[in-house]
Formats: sequence, structure tokens, C-alpha cells
Amino acid sequence: MKQILYITYYETIHIFKDKILLVLIFFVPLLYAFFFGAVYSQGILTGIPLAVVDLDHSALSREVIKSFENSPRFSIVQDITTYPLLEEGMRKSVIRAGVVIPENFARDADLNRGTEILTVYDGSNLIWGYNIRKYTLEVVNQFNTGHASSYMAGLGLTKKEITNILDTLSTNIDVWYNPTFSYTSYMLYGLIMLVIHQICLLSASLTVTREKEKNCWIQFLSSPLPAWKIFLGKSLPYFLTGFFNYVLLIWFITRFVQIKIEGSVFLMALLGLLYTVVIISAGFYISLKAKNSLQATRFIMLLSVPLLMVSGYTWPQTHIPAFINNFASLIPFTWMAEGFRNIAVKDLGAGCLTPVILALSLMSITAVLLAVSFAKRKNRPMKIFNDHF
Amino acid sequence: MLSQCLAIARREFFFIWRDKDLRYILLFGPLLGLLIFYGTYSHQVLKDIPTAIADLDRSRASQELVKNIRGAENLKITAYPESYDELEDLIKKGTVVAGVVIPENYGKDLSLSRQTRVEMIVDGSNMIYATNATSAMLSVSHTLSAQTGVKTLVARGIAPAQAAAAYQSAEFREEAWFNPTLNYAYFVVLALALNIWQQCCTLTACMTIVGETGAASWYQFKSLGISRLRLFISKSAAQIITFMAVALPVFFLAFAVFKLPLRCGFLLFFLFSLAFATALHSVGTLASSIAWDPVNAARFGMIIALPSFLVSGYTYPLESMPGCLQIIAKILPQTWYFQGINLLAFKDPGWAFMSQYFLAFLIIAAVCYTVSAVIVARRT
Repeated sequence: MKQILYITYYETIHIFKDKILLVLIFFVPLLYAFFFGAVYSQGILTGIPLAVVDLDHSALSREVIKSFENSPRFSIVQDITTYPLLEEGMRKSVIRAGVVIPENFARDADLNRGTEILTVYDGSNLIWGYNIRKYTLEVVNQFNTGHASSYMAGLGLTKKEITNILDTLSTNIDVWYNPTFSYTSYMLYGLIMLVIHQICLLSASLTVTREKEKNCWIQFLSSPLPAWKIFLGKSLPYFLTGFFNYVLLIWFITRFVQIKIEGSVFLMALLGLLYTVVIISAGFYISLKAKNSLQATRFIMLLSVPLLMVSGYTWPQTHIPAFINNFASLIPFTWMAEGFRNIAVKDLGAGCLTPVILALSLMSITAVLLAVSFAKRKNRPMKIFNDHF
Repeated sequence: MLSQCLAIARREFFFIWRDKDLRYILLFGPLLGLLIFYGTYSHQVLKDIPTAIADLDRSRASQELVKNIRGAENLKITAYPESYDELEDLIKKGTVVAGVVIPENYGKDLSLSRQTRVEMIVDGSNMIYATNATSAMLSVSHTLSAQTGVKTLVARGIAPAQAAAAYQSAEFREEAWFNPTLNYAYFVVLALALNIWQQCCTLTACMTIVGETGAASWYQFKSLGISRLRLFISKSAAQIITFMAVALPVFFLAFAVFKLPLRCGFLLFFLFSLAFATALHSVGTLASSIAWDPVNAARFGMIIALPSFLVSGYTYPLESMPGCLQIIAKILPQTWYFQGINLLAFKDPGWAFMSQYFLAFLIIAAVCYTVSAVIVARRT
């Protein structure tokens, strides 16, 4: 035990001597959490710039406009009043949606001549596109209900009768787990898990390369210490800081970003524990194999975006080809991001999370075995000679 | 002078090629990124959202309703749970994303014009699914309410034409401009691949200064008396040419093979990418001038490059971010680039409109190169 603690102490000294590594471990995760929290701080898309081209100027057309004005999702841009201006505004992204009410709209509607209102939205950014489509449908449904109600009043039906008719078949859309459609609840957990992944992997991947660059790794190899003790001693500081960062970032986002978090603390801790073990061990293994710190740094840095995209955290796994899903299932981030979302947002219990716990446990065992399996055999003298001269 | 510049540039090309890791990263990083992302988004459009219907009534009317829902756009009925609990379990486990519960006595209540309520449930934990599922549900809900309303009015003795008119106030037709099929691959694949490209370029640019000052060859340069400006310009030109050379196969695959949209002319797109590559190179050079070894230079560069895509507002809109973050985002060349490629790929707003983006790149490059020059002059 003493030997392990000595190595841990030695590694900690290295971390404190390398100022950038120190910042990377203790400051960058929090900085990223702050940034990502700020990006999604509003959470819900509101105030979508919408232009209304009213070519009819009738009471009915004003009613339509009022419905869009009353929606908290849209903000009407007043100076766009013609179709060419609408086209230009959309092309320059000044507005993201538009409503075009044709000439003689009210008259044609009265005569049942088949007139229609055109609603357009910007499909070039599908975060805008999907949301505008949904918000527009909400406004249209509300407008139609309001109109049906006034029409029935015109037919002489009483208020109670109208309510009864409108409520004969009511459809209630209940959105579970994220009823406000908040992007904060949707994205932030995954991003935090990615930050933990990258910081842990990057810091652990330098632990052996650093020794190699200083020609000190040979001391470890020639020492009588078994491989597992070297691994444990050198990884312990990264494991502790990794788990500390995991807890810190979860606390930070729940305290300052006001994100919804539910579920069992024990399960969160268990997943966090397994996640840090698998990443730190994988980082140590990468460090054993990497030529130098620059090589490890460069390749690990490039992993972030592909990891997030193939994991199915954003674009659903049902719509990703099987071979990519199979590949993604070998990555701990895929399991962790989904598992954590299932605990924090859906409040799922251990029963539903069994596959995640099993997958991460299996990965942890594999990664630890790989990390401790390095041969404590020195290079042959001739090889060392060739490498140096 | 020109021959000296060419010799330095040739040396730089050789250095980039000799650095095996950098060579692989530049040659294969962006291409691999494009292939992975294109594969991931190969379904392109989010259709067939897994939906379950719990028909607790099993009447003729409820069967008709099931038939209606089956025909709804983007929904795919994959399960028919026997009870509400079973449906709840399916949503919890993520087997289905949406659910419809038709209550007991639905048919009876409808025929007696009694109130009845159909419950529609959407799993909101994945927003891409949730927004699309909700839109589909809203359309179904609108049609159902109208159909039932007309029937109820007719049953109360209102003329069928009048009953229909009550629910036909205005027809709304929707159009998605610039990306009419709401193709998600069109939206993200090119941007994500270019995000990998910019990260690879940042890693290369981070070597501009520290790669020389940290090596023994720096003393050779000093003793040869080559102007630092000439050395720097030649090295930078070689790197920027390399950036564009590795981007060309990505552009070819994206536009010619995968047929991703490009509304503007290729020349404008290429020049826009070139201007960005220069601005990005300046940021990498700045990181390189601050750092004292290549590892730290790579770290500095990537600390900026990694979150830049998210902060750029390409996916989640910049307008919805806090004001201070919008200002920070606008300092980064990535923000201008990703906003710009969206405009060029889908909208082609023209040279005049894009000039502000070119100006932003110019200012960023001028500031970063100047600061780098000052730092290097002080250090060496």
C-alpha cells in the first residue's frame, strides 16, 4: 500500500508542476460547464422572429395575426410587409418564419372557395425548423378552435353547448420528462459527460508518455514493483480528480443552471465510479502505447465530436445504421450519457439500468486488465542503442 | 527573395509530411469525419417515430381512430400495449417515443355525444424526437377534433355544410424553405465534417511558432539572418495551402458524391473557406506563440477549437444565448464560418451580404497575427 501511495504522491507532484495540466484538471471542466450552461441557459426557443404579409386586411386576417401575436413563442417583425421582403428577410436570416395571408382571403373563406394561408419556416437550421413547425401547429389549432367557437355562437348555440361540442373529443398531449421542451435538460447532461470523458482521458494519457519523455519510465520497469501497483499508483490521482469533477459538475449545473435532476444518488455515484475507472484505465493504456505526449494529446482531442454524434444521444439510435450503433456500443460515453439521462431525467431504477451497469462494468474490467498487462521487460540494449544514436 | 520564400514553404510542406501523426490527422481526419457523420445521419429525415397505441375500448370507433393515427405523418405504430401501465413501461424504457391511450367506453361516449378524452403522450427526453412527435400528434389532434365536432353538430340538427364550415375557418399550408424535406443530414453533416477539419487545422497551426523556436533549427535561422516576417509568411502560406488541399476532397465528397446542398457558387464557398483558414491559422499561431512547447500549444488551441462549434450557434441559435456569450462567440472565427456556411449552403445571400463575414476574418487575422508577432519579438 505504501508503495502505491508513494507513486501517487510522485504523480501528484507532477500534476502540480505542470501548470497547464493543473488548469486542465481543476479549472477547464468547470469552465466548460459554465460555458455550456450559459449556451443553453434560456433552454426554450422563444421570440422567434416572424413576419406577417397580410394582403387581405380583413377582420379574419387580423384575427389570424392576433393568434400569432398572442403566442409567447413568436415575435412579429413589423417592417416586413410584402412577399419579396419576406423572401429577402428569410434569405438573410433576419426572420425565421413567415405567414402569408392571400388577397380576398376572408371573402373566399366565407364562400368556401378553398383559400389557404401559407406558413413558411426556415429549414436550414432544423432546431429552428422543428420548433417553429410545432409552435405554428399550436397556434393554428388554437385559432381553429376559437373560430369554430364563434361560428357556433353565430348559429345560436349557447356557451355551454359550444363547450360541450368542442370537448366531445378532447385530445390532451402530455409531454413526459421534459414538458417545457427545454434544450438545457436535453443537451447539458451529455455535454457534461463528454467533458468528464475528455478531461479524464487526456490527463491519464500523459502519465506514462511524460515518463518516457524524461527517460524515467525505465525506472518503473526495472523496479521490483508489479505492474498493477504502478498502474494503481499512477492512476489514483486522476481517478480521484475525475470523480471529484464528476460530482462537482453535477452539483454546478443543478445549482447554477437550474436543470431538472431526479433519480437515485447511489446509481449516479455508481455510474460515475465505473465511468471514471474505465476512462482512466483506457487513458493509461493509451499512454503506454503512445509515442509521446503530443501524439496522445492530438488524437484524443479529436474524439469529442464523433463520440457525441455516433452515441445516439442527439440523433436517435433507431435512425442510425446498425454498424455504427454496434461501434458506438463499444464506447463508454454512449452508455454513460444515455444511462445518466435515464436516471436524471426519467428517474429510472436499477432494474432498467442493468444493461448500462453491466456494460460499464465489463468495460472497466477490460480496460483495467489492458492497463495492467504491460510487460515489465526492458528494451534490448541494441534497441536502446539504436533509438538513441 | 521569392526563391527563399519557396524554399521555406517547401521545407514546411516537408515538415508537415514528415510529422506522421499530423500527416494522418490532416489526410484522414476530416474525410473520416465526413464518412462517419454521413453514415450516422444516413436516414436523413426523421420519419417512423416509434409509437404505441393502447386501445382500452376495442370498439368500432376506436378501431377507426387507430386507423387514423396509423396514417399520421412520421408516426410508426410499433406496439399495441394492453394497458396504460404497459404503455408507460414502453416509454420509460425508450422502446417507443409516443403513445396514444384510447379510453374505455370511447365509442359509446362518442355515439352519445358525451365528452371523452384521448391521451397522447410524448417522451420529451430527446428533443429531436419530441418536437417531431408532438407536431405529428398536433396534426392528428386537429383532424380528430374537427371530424368529431362536425359529426356532433350534424347530430344536433345543424346542416352538414354549416357544420363543416364551422371547422373550416382557414386552411393553413406549411412550407419549409431552403430545406423542404427537413433533411437532417443536409443540416449537420457538412458542418460537423468541417468542424473536424478546423480542429485538425488548429492542431497544425499550433506548431507554427513553437515548432521552430522549440527546435535547434531556430538557431540556424537566426544565424542565417532570414527575415522573421519572410519566414513566417512562407511557413503560414504553406500551412494554409495544406489546409485547403485537405479540404478539397471533403468538398468533393460532400457536394459531388453525397449531393449535400450548396446554393452559392463553388468559388465563393472556396474563398470563404480560404478566408476562414487564414483567420483560424492566426488563432493557432497565437496559441503557438504563447505556449512553450508543442503539447501545450495543442492544448491551448484545442481548448478554443473544441467548444467553438457549440458556441457558434450553428445548432442552438446564437440569438438565444446570453449577450455576453454572443460577444465572446463573435470573437471566434468559427462562429462566422459556421454561420456563413449555413447561409452559403442553403440561402446564397450574395457577395455583398457575405462581405461582413470576410471582414470579420480579416480583423481576427490581423489582430491575432499582430499579437503573435509582438509576443515572438519579445521572447526571441
